[in-house]
Amino acid sequence: MTSRRHFLAGLAATTLSPIRGWASVGAPDFLAAGLFPDGSYRLAGLDALGTIRFSLPLPARGHAAAAHPFKAQAVAFARRPGTFAMVIDCATGSELAVLQAPAGRHFYGHGTFSADGERFYATENDYEAGEGRISVWDANSFVRLGEFSSGGIGPHDMRLMPDGQTLVIANGGIETHPDSGRTKLNLPTMRPNLTYVDLSGTPLEQMELPGALRKNSIRHLAVRGDGLVAFAMQWQGPQIDHPPLLGLHRRGKKPRLLTAPEADQATLQAYAGSVAFAADGRAVAITCPRGNALHRFDVTSGAFEAGFALDDVCGLGTSADGLVFTTGTGVFGTLIGAQPAVSARPDCQWDNHLVPIHRHL
Amino acid sequence: MRALALIPFLLLPVSAASQDRTPILTDVSEAHILPRFSTLAEATEALTTTARTDCDPASADLRAAYGTAFDNWISVSHLRFGPTETEDRAFALAFWPDTKGFTPKALSQLIAEEDAAVTNAEAFSHISVAGRGFFALERMIYDPAFAEQGTAAYRCALIQAIASDIDANADAIANDWQSYALTLIQPGAKSPYRSADEAMQELFKSLSTGLQFTADTRLGRPLGTFDRPRPKRAEARRSERSLRHVELSLIALRDLAARLSADHPDIADDLDLSFGIAITDAQSIDDPALAGIASPQGRFRVEALQQSINDIRMIAASELGPTLGINAGFNSLDGD
Repeated sequence: MTSRRHFLAGLAATTLSPIRGWASVGAPDFLAAGLFPDGSYRLAGLDALGTIRFSLPLPARGHAAAAHPFKAQAVAFARRPGTFAMVIDCATGSELAVLQAPAGRHFYGHGTFSADGERFYATENDYEAGEGRISVWDANSFVRLGEFSSGGIGPHDMRLMPDGQTLVIANGGIETHPDSGRTKLNLPTMRPNLTYVDLSGTPLEQMELPGALRKNSIRHLAVRGDGLVAFAMQWQGPQIDHPPLLGLHRRGKKPRLLTAPEADQATLQAYAGSVAFAADGRAVAITCPRGNALHRFDVTSGAFEAGFALDDVCGLGTSADGLVFTTGTGVFGTLIGAQPAVSARPDCQWDNHLVPIHRHL
Repeated sequence: MRALALIPFLLLPVSAASQDRTPILTDVSEAHILPRFSTLAEATEALTTTARTDCDPASADLRAAYGTAFDNWISVSHLRFGPTETEDRAFALAFWPDTKGFTPKALSQLIAEEDAAVTNAEAFSHISVAGRGFFALERMIYDPAFAEQGTAAYRCALIQAIASDIDANADAIANDWQSYALTLIQPGAKSPYRSADEAMQELFKSLSTGLQFTADTRLGRPLGTFDRPRPKRAEARRSERSLRHVELSLIALRDLAARLSADHPDIADDLDLSFGIAITDAQSIDDPALAGIASPQGRFRVEALQQSINDIRMIAASELGPTLGINAGFNSLDGD
């Protein structure tokens, strides 16, 4: 198999125009969508201190984006149920392509590139059938190549596993149909799962939570270098319950569920927005925008380490020395050690997610 | 080890000036919630009694008792928290929308197997929620496809079992509300609500999600798109109750909105006016099963009704919400 280094060298040798890598746009560490003070929705590249390295206009409110592994290109998704995603050249701001969901489909707002940057995968809803699909796109031409089952209903986040050969998909389990907005159509029968597939869509493994947690919608994912998957959940059962909102799963093993003491857990409104591992992989955290909190746990013991009160916190990412977070009130903060600190406060409202950029060029 | 870090410049916004919420919480509980669930339980009692003496699907008495009980459910169907969510009671009363046709499948299976669960209330309470409740009973009473399946004796027993299960669920909800109401009125350590603001927010959520369900689901699903209207997706279209459900839900939500805005007469006026427009819109449409949305003229009127409901949603979110300390966060309100 061609190594990435080889592949990149080959690409550089055969391409006439130089590849614009992430360094050409100020070497950002994260992508985030947000509402800017002039009223425009933009996609921004941020460094690990929250400095905006670039920002580009979006036609409407964004959700998550996906960063190409080495080209300065991003795929920006609209909020679900959006039917298109924009492929943006982050160096020029120009729109390279538009991914259009076929009739009867919409995107869920998350996607990922293959390790070699040749393919792009997106989570989709086949809403007449009420089934989740993963679409496969050529990441050069952005032609739709095909699709396969997500292994469940309502696939939301999806990540490439460290082996570069496996996708892990969070099937949230909730059926929606654009005719009825975001109304949840199947709560009494929902069955979320975590599905692992190879890049051709062959199912490899599926993890379901115990029956009592059948209404805990698995929505967002983070993957550690050794393949440990962290998943964040949104509870659809009675509000008087305060179930765990964070789980850890390793293929072939049972999931471990992490929760804060009841007094803290009860403040979260049973809703987690994003999940990330800290830089050293020893800690894992979730953001809880409805409970206005960030909860951090020890990965090995599963113990609750600390809760931090942060208004409308949602975006969460891994930085070189800890965690970074964004809030809907405009804060970009770092969490290194025991105390969060605000490192930037641009006058904009950051949307749900911080998407890491893995720089190779 | 745990440390709760409070950072001054990240402090949470001060919620709406703290005020005594007890009068409104008491009023909503005692005048809006408890009487409605109590009336529902009486109506479902009448339904099961009627079904016991007359299980003929064509019976005018049975259909009338069914209609009254279903009316009373729709008038509480926005109160989806606490007792209705225990053991999936609300879903067992009303499994809709049924996007994958589970209800007819569940009923056909019961009939084909002559499942003995119909003779045992406890056993029946454990079958799929899709085979129970008002929508299962609607199929048995109004759907010609079920008029001939199996034997008349089994169909009768099934109708009686569904009616009795509906009644048991309505009773359980009404009973639980007797004690749950206290936790709503007196939040604190022993209540699911830590503060009166949280209790108010639960009620506000009932209002906003009730409006959303009526606009987006009761109307949105059958409206479909202009090119592809979906009249067969209308709620309870077989019993021609679709438009009635919209009207009943608006009437119930208007009452809740008035009580929640009692402290703010200007907002109460705006809400009442907007509810008045929407209810008048609904009453001016002569299309009980919403079958007419397949035609452009029929569609136009239902779209106008949907817009009127969305106007109420806007007023509730922009005027009433902020008075209740609703966190208007960019992310917390958006979801995902």
